[in-house]
Amino acid sequence: MAELNRAELNAIELDGVVKEYLSHGEVVQAVKGVTLDIAEGEFFSLLGPSGCGKTTTMRMIAGFEEPSRGVVRLHGADVTNVPPNKRDINMVFQSYALFPHMNVWDNVAFGLKQRRTPQEEIRRRVGEMLEIVDLAGREKRRPREMSGGQQQRVALARALVNRPRALLLDEPLGALDLKLRQAMQIELKRIQREVGITFVYVTHDQSEALTMSDRIAVMNDGLVEQLGGPREIYEKPASAFVAGFIGTSNLLTGVAAGGVLELGGGRVLVPGRDGEVTVTVRPEKITISLDKPDGEVSVVPGTVGEVVYLGTYNSYAVRLGDGTEVTVFQQNAHDATTTAERGDPVWLSWPAQHSYAIGSRSTP
Amino acid sequence: MSHLHDPAFLRGMTQPRTRREAFRIAGLSAAGLALAACGVQGQKAAPPKADAVKDYWSKQTKHGRVVFANWPEYMPEDQAPLKKFQSETGISYQYKEVIQENAEFFGKADPVLRAGQSLGYDIVVMTNGVQLQHMIQLGYCVALDHSKLPNFAANAGATYKNRAYDPGSTYTVPYTSGVTGIAYNTKYVKDDITSIEALFDPKYKGRVGMMGDAQEIANFGMIALGVNPEKSTEADWKKAGEKLKAQRDAGIVRKYYDQSYIDAVSKGDIWVTMAWSGDVFQRQLAGEPVKFVVPEEGGTIWTDNMLIPKGAANPVDALMLMDYLYQPVVAAELDEFIQYVTPVPGVQDILKEKAAKATGEDKEALEQMVASPLMFPSEADYAKLHTYTTLTTQQEQVFNPIFQSITQA
Amino acid sequence: MKRLTPYLLALPSWMWLAVFLVVPLAAMASVSLQTGNAIDGFAMTFSFSNYADALGRYSTQLVRSLWYGGLATVAMLVIGYPVAYWIAFKGGSRKSVYLFLLLLPFFVSFVLRTISWGFLLADDGVLFGTLKGWGLLPADFHVLATTVAVVGGLTYNFLPFMILPIYVALERVDPRVVEAAYDLYASRTAAFRRVVLPLSLPGVFAGVLMTFVPATADPVNAQVLGGTGNTMIGNIIQTEYLTNLNYPTASALSFTLMAVLLIGIFIYARALGTENVLEAAAR
Repeated sequence: MAELNRAELNAIELDGVVKEYLSHGEVVQAVKGVTLDIAEGEFFSLLGPSGCGKTTTMRMIAGFEEPSRGVVRLHGADVTNVPPNKRDINMVFQSYALFPHMNVWDNVAFGLKQRRTPQEEIRRRVGEMLEIVDLAGREKRRPREMSGGQQQRVALARALVNRPRALLLDEPLGALDLKLRQAMQIELKRIQREVGITFVYVTHDQSEALTMSDRIAVMNDGLVEQLGGPREIYEKPASAFVAGFIGTSNLLTGVAAGGVLELGGGRVLVPGRDGEVTVTVRPEKITISLDKPDGEVSVVPGTVGEVVYLGTYNSYAVRLGDGTEVTVFQQNAHDATTTAERGDPVWLSWPAQHSYAIGSRSTP
Repeated sequence: MSHLHDPAFLRGMTQPRTRREAFRIAGLSAAGLALAACGVQGQKAAPPKADAVKDYWSKQTKHGRVVFANWPEYMPEDQAPLKKFQSETGISYQYKEVIQENAEFFGKADPVLRAGQSLGYDIVVMTNGVQLQHMIQLGYCVALDHSKLPNFAANAGATYKNRAYDPGSTYTVPYTSGVTGIAYNTKYVKDDITSIEALFDPKYKGRVGMMGDAQEIANFGMIALGVNPEKSTEADWKKAGEKLKAQRDAGIVRKYYDQSYIDAVSKGDIWVTMAWSGDVFQRQLAGEPVKFVVPEEGGTIWTDNMLIPKGAANPVDALMLMDYLYQPVVAAELDEFIQYVTPVPGVQDILKEKAAKATGEDKEALEQMVASPLMFPSEADYAKLHTYTTLTTQQEQVFNPIFQSITQA
Repeated sequence: MKRLTPYLLALPSWMWLAVFLVVPLAAMASVSLQTGNAIDGFAMTFSFSNYADALGRYSTQLVRSLWYGGLATVAMLVIGYPVAYWIAFKGGSRKSVYLFLLLLPFFVSFVLRTISWGFLLADDGVLFGTLKGWGLLPADFHVLATTVAVVGGLTYNFLPFMILPIYVALERVDPRVVEAAYDLYASRTAAFRRVVLPLSLPGVFAGVLMTFVPATADPVNAQVLGGTGNTMIGNIIQTEYLTNLNYPTASALSFTLMAVLLIGIFIYARALGTENVLEAAAR
């Protein structure tokens, strides 16, 4: 991509951003060099376990932290050393950080007042925004008089009312219960589509990221492990870490010869690979059968261990000849073919395109 | 940081008066609680009848112990006089330095004695003044049995046997006396101060210390006007009040001091001040540039007195200790340490003899003491010294406001 | 029985209140209306004129005490707020060390500390003696025995009681709330004025109460550091109680002082908006 286009297309750019702290006299790198382009209007997630550097990365975008090295650009302008109050982006904080001494209206109007927006316009925009987040009529409430979901929406309104060029959300749903969280995920996505601005979403919850994001950056240990769409990340994890962190994944390791990995009396197809290799395959891609299947598929024998009934599907733990345990999900469809039980010898099989040889740089 | 090594500075930091202040405040709350607990009853005592006194003493016996409550720095640290008393009489003693201020002590003692309980002390030392007067008036003092005070009869000076505030020494015998006069800092004042007028001299504007105590300051106001405080009238008080008010309004007075005047004059915060003789004498011996004079117009002599509080457990032993302290040799030993005016005139000769035998620094110090008018005032000195005015309760209610309205404006 | 248990458990506190608050106050109220003297005794005459007399004689000192107490409180606020702010937000892991250092001088008795100030501020003492030696101050410059010394002493002596409640309030302010203000375009000043300050008001309220009341009633600073014309109402009450044994006047003055302070606190609470303060405190 030409540099010229990059600035036009991207809301946010990080170039080789590093953040170092001094902790007990030692330099600790929280972020070890992140380069990212986040496009205008994109729903972009930073996903990773706690301590992976995702929050620090977001705080550098917001301006609460200054990068030790590297450049942060917003819409092409270098803002690396610009304080947060001079950046045209807003943030929804973890646990919301609403102003406890102000009512809903004053919370939402805060940013507009700081920018000296005319009274009339403030009234109109705050009113509209409270409509959007479904809080009209609750203007006089104090934050502590509201439920978690309502507070969440106040926080969202407080940020969005300023019509920022981008919205940063730091684990915004973390404090909500599952039902509400799922509802809010859909709500957030709807609002994002309506207002059409860039969302940068920090979360450790992979399902949340997969549900809402256009693109996801999976972070680990201060670095981006993989950057891509939800499907790409799920189906083609670039590392054992990503494979393990996103969903459930089986890792099979061995020495391949001529595109075939011999494993405990079976074979795993790894086209074009030779030598030491790790293969990942998702549990739901595997078929379990009592008879050895035919065709150009990967086939390995094993013995059924635990069988767990999970409603829409069953989960099987199958032990291979070399001791590796493989998880298999099988739909409880009306025509379910297998009724394998504990102790049964079975065959596991999957098409070659569902297993990927990955670099095993790191493990979760 | 030469100041930190300044002995005056260090001593100032550890002055006992700091504790006095603390006790004063504790006393305030104690008084409040006492009032809450029992309300306020009058207890004016009639003068004791001779029979009753005899009757009281005939019932008392020696118990072999005595508790002595006194002021700080009023007893040699080794307590030698008391130890000798113990070995000679077999009476064991407890010596407690619990009295820091008359008002505060009275404030604490009043509710206890009012309730008819014992203070836990057999001898208490109080200065002649309002509080001692109240102690006597309220019947808080045991009338003394003078048949058991032969040393007092034999050795006390005439002026100490007949004191206006306790005629006939009915309730008290003196422990020691002191003089209120003028002290000045010779570093700042180059003239020899002789007159009380120095305290009113605009030359020392803002550098004069006066005492906050109503009696002390009233005396000096009257002495400055040529009035004898002992024979003063209400009109004299008012005139003195005017003079003192004018002195204050002219900005001559820096502050109305309590015990802290001695630090202030030693440091040079004030240059000329009303002062108590013993304090100044001790500072002089410590090498500080302070000098004490009894103004030619006169000064005040006050006395700290021993008394037996009502309800004392061991009055006979107390009486024996009181009398013991009137042996000239014992009194001399005591006075050599406290350096105020002893009520036993014979002490001067004893110290003279001791000085003759001593050598070096000891000799010098003893000679200084013997020659000091602050410890052994001459007849002429005594003639100039007035005592506090004895006031009735009604007079007090006129007297106090006149002078407190000046010191506590 | 079970229903009574909480009341029984509260009984000691009620007794404590009764013995140490209600009874003394009632007794003091009674004494304040009596006449007489310590020797002949006091009798209840319901002489409300005690109050008029006491006020007539000592209104100067009462007004002066309120004035000094107010000045000292303002000074404490001006000094204490930044200190509390600094410890709460910049203290980092050493917060407790700073708080300890702040409290360290207060392990020494109140009176002794005040007297030490007398030494520090002596005309030719450590501070002014040195400055005068360098010719930076005129020879007759002095602070002791002036209003400045008394108000300064009050300020110093009660400062921790201002700092600690403010510190506690500031400490409770979520740093993310402050960040939210920055994020919403507030400058440092605006974030402080619109967010940090309002959130710390309960601390300020408590701090002012805890300092103004004792500072106004304090007798020690005026006595040790003051000069002529610096007498405060606490000194007067003390003299009336201990020296003059004029219990009715002392009681009447104590009550008057208490009433004036209570009214002052009430007005202050209204002015600051108790509702907001209490609400913020209830967070």
